[in-house]
Amino acid sequence: MATTLRTRSRSRETLLRLSAYATILLALVLTLFPVYWIAANSFKFDIDIFAVPPEWVPRNPTLKHYDQAFIERPFLRYALNSFLVAIGTTAIAVTFGTMAGYALARFSYPWQWRKHVSFWILSTRMMPPIVSIIPLYLAFNYFDMLNTKSALIIAYTAFNLPFATWMMKSYFQDLPVELEEAAIVDGDTRWGAFLHVALPLARPGLAATAIFCLIISWNEFLLSLVITLTEQSQTLPIGIAGRVTQYTTYWGEISAAGFMACIPIVIFAFIVQKHLVRGLSLGAVKG
Amino acid sequence: MASVKFDNVTKKFGDFVAVADVNLEIRDKEFLVLLGPSGCGKTTTMRMVAGLEEPTSGDIYIDSDRINDVLPKYRDVAMVFQSYALYPHLTVEDNIGYPLKIRKVPPDEYKRRILEVARRVELDTMLKRLPKELSGGQRQRVALARAIVRTPRVFLMDEPLSNLDAKLRTQMRAELKHLQHELQVTTIYVTHDQIEAMTLAHRVAVMNRGVIEQLGTPREIYNDPRTLFVAGFIGSPSMNLIPGEAKDGVFASAGLRVEGAGHVNVRLAVLGVRPEDVHVAGPEDKDINLVAPIYSVELTGENTLVNLQLGGQLLTLRADKNFAGAIDQRVGVRIAEDRMFLFDAETEQRVDFQPDS
Repeated sequence: MATTLRTRSRSRETLLRLSAYATILLALVLTLFPVYWIAANSFKFDIDIFAVPPEWVPRNPTLKHYDQAFIERPFLRYALNSFLVAIGTTAIAVTFGTMAGYALARFSYPWQWRKHVSFWILSTRMMPPIVSIIPLYLAFNYFDMLNTKSALIIAYTAFNLPFATWMMKSYFQDLPVELEEAAIVDGDTRWGAFLHVALPLARPGLAATAIFCLIISWNEFLLSLVITLTEQSQTLPIGIAGRVTQYTTYWGEISAAGFMACIPIVIFAFIVQKHLVRGLSLGAVKG
Repeated sequence: MASVKFDNVTKKFGDFVAVADVNLEIRDKEFLVLLGPSGCGKTTTMRMVAGLEEPTSGDIYIDSDRINDVLPKYRDVAMVFQSYALYPHLTVEDNIGYPLKIRKVPPDEYKRRILEVARRVELDTMLKRLPKELSGGQRQRVALARAIVRTPRVFLMDEPLSNLDAKLRTQMRAELKHLQHELQVTTIYVTHDQIEAMTLAHRVAVMNRGVIEQLGTPREIYNDPRTLFVAGFIGSPSMNLIPGEAKDGVFASAGLRVEGAGHVNVRLAVLGVRPEDVHVAGPEDKDINLVAPIYSVELTGENTLVNLQLGGQLLTLRADKNFAGAIDQRVGVRIAEDRMFLFDAETEQRVDFQPDS
């Protein structure tokens, strides 16, 4: 009796584990297949891209599309623009978002102001970006900033800063306040306690926020489409979309550029992921 | 070396009064314990000295300096937090050295002083470790070392032993007491543990609901409680508090009658007597105050705690370790009359037995 029970629960456990793996596998296929398909297509000749039945693995691999995109067409330039805009946006949004988040998490406010200010900051993200396009276009036109990377950085920062602020705010709220109090009693200033204690402990939060901002600005399409028209200012998504022309769509080039566009984000995510590890503040309080 | 003075200090959080009009002077080199249940305002009182809370009204002085508006960094106090608050990203060495680094102490002196205090708290072999690699007791010692690495004017300790296990707590208690004696630094120590308060303090301030109920030496607090709260809070097992009525010098409650209450008339009175001042006698003996059945007998090793059923409540007494009595057995009880306290249940203040004149 006991043996049957044990066998039954053992086999049930195996079944459960198998179904968990199956679910993970399905999720992986769903998310990774498009990436694979872009990568595969980027190495195929045009004719093979549309082969029926599909050519799962490129039979005659070619670098032709890479040559076209990055040598003949200015995709390197687009990539550089994207890079500068994304780095600029991330740096500004994370810097100010961290300070604002700290202020919201730690300082005392009269009445319910903490709540109101926090909500007001978040509420700027509640309208769809398209609503702000015409005012932004007019404003940048007025300041003669159309077709500049600075305009993109300003616009993206406006959209990323609220999220950065909120993410850092909740991160700081999770840090034990005694640590900063200890630093202050030990003789540090508030700014010193922030810099020497809170900030190093907020590294996982900083990493997460940075990835978030980087991905958003790297992939942004709508604002860039309206604000920039020149090769000197356009970003990768616009460049890639530009290969869908009136008469033909250059799938090979789009795949090549699209695949390359994924790589920096993946590399960055790998670099910062070690900082994402939770539990940095372990051992601070309680034995 | 410094004295600390609270002058009519009140602290409110919104409508909640955490500390109400406290007047307290802590003498130079004194070890003062703020004792009370959680939420009584003791930690808030201490945090106001550190500069982590601002008093709503009143003044705080260190020596003759009014420190209300002085930034924490200029107050020259050191604090040990209940949670230790060690910087998790810094090694033991950097944790201990943090106050020195902020004060830009030159490198060779920095090293020397860290090593000196690390030796004193026996952490000199662990300087390169991170807090998470230490045991609870070691973390506690790092927190202590960080406080004593410079000689501050005042030490503040917020329940520093409450996260340690019982054995380590007893050991650290002795070490703390010795350390304070050696360093001769004025210390304010917050705890809810009356044993810690009794053993460590030069003087104890018992706090309740934001008010200092009584300030005195441990002996005074124990032997001469001024309020009902102090009487009930100090002592383990706690004082027997028997509600009744005092009329024309006689205290009477269900099953108990004590004479010699002078001329006191209190309609709602409470009689307080410590377990060790209640003695067992034969049920037929003379001079006994009452006869009651035994409810339970608990041998603690050094003595026996006997609970008697008295009306609707239990009367605890501390008997000899060889006491033998069975449950429901009726015994006589003699109360040491000079060790009884009478309180007014409404004002919660002591109304002493007044000797007949």
